[in-house]
Amino acid sequence: MSIRYKTIKDLSSMIQKRDISHLELVKETFSLIESSSDLNAFITLNKDPAIENAISLDNERNESVLSGIPIAQKDLFCTKDLRTTCGSNMLSNFIPPYSATVITNLERAGCISIGKTNMDEFAMGSSNETSFYGNVINPWGKNLVPGGSSGGSASAVSSGIVPAATGTDTGGSIRQPASLCGITGLKPTYGRISRWGMIAFASSLDQAGPMARTAEDCAILLNEMCSHDLKDTTSLNEPIPDFTEDLDKPIKGMKIGIVKEFDLSKLDSDVVQVFEDSKKHYESLGAEFVEISLPNISLSVPTYYVVAPAECSSNLSRFDGVKFGTRCDDPKNLEDLYIRTRSEGFGDEVKRRILIGSYVLSAGFYDAYYKKAQQVRRLIKNDFDGAFSKVDVIMSPTTRGTAFEAGSKGSDPIQMYLEDLFTIPANLAGLPALSLPNGFVNKKPIGLQLIGNFLEESKMLQFAHNFQKTSDFHLKTPHGEDIS
Amino acid sequence: MDKKTVTTIAYLSRIALNEDNEDKITSDLENIIKFVDQLDSAEVDGIEPLTNPLEKKAHTREDIVTAKNRKDKFLERSPKSNEDYFLVPRVVE
Repeated sequence: MSIRYKTIKDLSSMIQKRDISHLELVKETFSLIESSSDLNAFITLNKDPAIENAISLDNERNESVLSGIPIAQKDLFCTKDLRTTCGSNMLSNFIPPYSATVITNLERAGCISIGKTNMDEFAMGSSNETSFYGNVINPWGKNLVPGGSSGGSASAVSSGIVPAATGTDTGGSIRQPASLCGITGLKPTYGRISRWGMIAFASSLDQAGPMARTAEDCAILLNEMCSHDLKDTTSLNEPIPDFTEDLDKPIKGMKIGIVKEFDLSKLDSDVVQVFEDSKKHYESLGAEFVEISLPNISLSVPTYYVVAPAECSSNLSRFDGVKFGTRCDDPKNLEDLYIRTRSEGFGDEVKRRILIGSYVLSAGFYDAYYKKAQQVRRLIKNDFDGAFSKVDVIMSPTTRGTAFEAGSKGSDPIQMYLEDLFTIPANLAGLPALSLPNGFVNKKPIGLQLIGNFLEESKMLQFAHNFQKTSDFHLKTPHGEDIS
Repeated sequence: MDKKTVTTIAYLSRIALNEDNEDKITSDLENIIKFVDQLDSAEVDGIEPLTNPLEKKAHTREDIVTAKNRKDKFLERSPKSNEDYFLVPRVVE
């Protein structure tokens, strides 16, 4: 029985019914990885430990829905004794002595970490083209990018190799690749999932989350990924609900906000049509639409490109060639060691962001840029607070279009930055948001974004699951098989 | 944003630019700064900066040792170390 394109729920039921053993499932996963190696979705595999793990689960069975489920981990999470590169040459030899809390949580729930997925270097990119380990291919077209930065995770799930993967989202790095690869991806409320053991990019924006084929699978994963962690000072100490509980509740009479300021007229008409069709779909499910105004939302991308580089320049100062990671050859003196290690270890996009960060934080510019961006950030958050007094979720396209060709954004970084136009606001405000497949344009998938209020992942998942129960976009596969 | 500014911030960041990428990086940074200058249009008088979406006080704990000494584990991951220290080129002549 093929395991390709199966959901967590499918695989779990196959295991419980003994249609397949844990070992068979893991071995089959590795053969899929091998036969799909052209995607370049993985940087490092975890073959022997995964097989050992499966054997011990076969010997000691349990009923957990995640028992034996193969999961791909973004190469940004520290994994004990397993190389963790963060897509960078800087960490090409880094083997962490500990695992990130979220990795431990998933493994404790029975997930088997199958390998580490390719990503934009230090999560800075929207196409996976900044990885030191090469581009990742989108299963929907061999010249197409998978999006980024969680491009390897999106590609691995989209091609049906694994039912689930972890991602991280600082400005859209889960949702944008989910949209471009036709899968479901969720960024929780800031603080829901511990950041301990996640290699930091922009600490006030970074948040881990699940990527899977369905909203239901994302809910199952989220149940295990969230925890209150004393090792992360921004970890939320709030009750963690069962995120699957409300999935099947109807959404009749609930309210969806449409953002007045999101100007869709600049998008391709086919993209707008897909969005309009989804509105009609939700209308048919009984949801009501309310126009909302977020007056400062147009400043989200400029705000982000001050805040994120500032935090990145500070976080990435730890890579100095002294304590871990790579070091340049034959340094003349300590300063030469720092400068050459960093110049050789970081790629161009990472350097650009560090430099921007150093600039906006430097004396004389701090107030004009960094402080101002943080003030605008509050205005954006206040806008959302006002809107959520009127609506249950906010809906927009996830991306401006479908997957684009590698190299097609040219050499102007701002064109790439605008990829995250619709996704960045949720990070600035710390709100949960997800992307689910809602249609196709020229045979390429595209996603719908739902933004939820603070801590209201369950409601967002309820909206997504209601959509998926009555549509089949998430069931289409790049190889033409319908998996319904 | 001119070459001199870029040279200064590159030094502050301990990143070396070379002839091949200096012009491109300077013009990229110039364009990015022009792009973020849109923030000038916002009215922010009296608005408290938002540094973190949670705005909660950091969790504090009693000052008691919780971690084991794992010196060896960390030193063995260093590019260069002896049994006690990370090693770098001589700093004091």
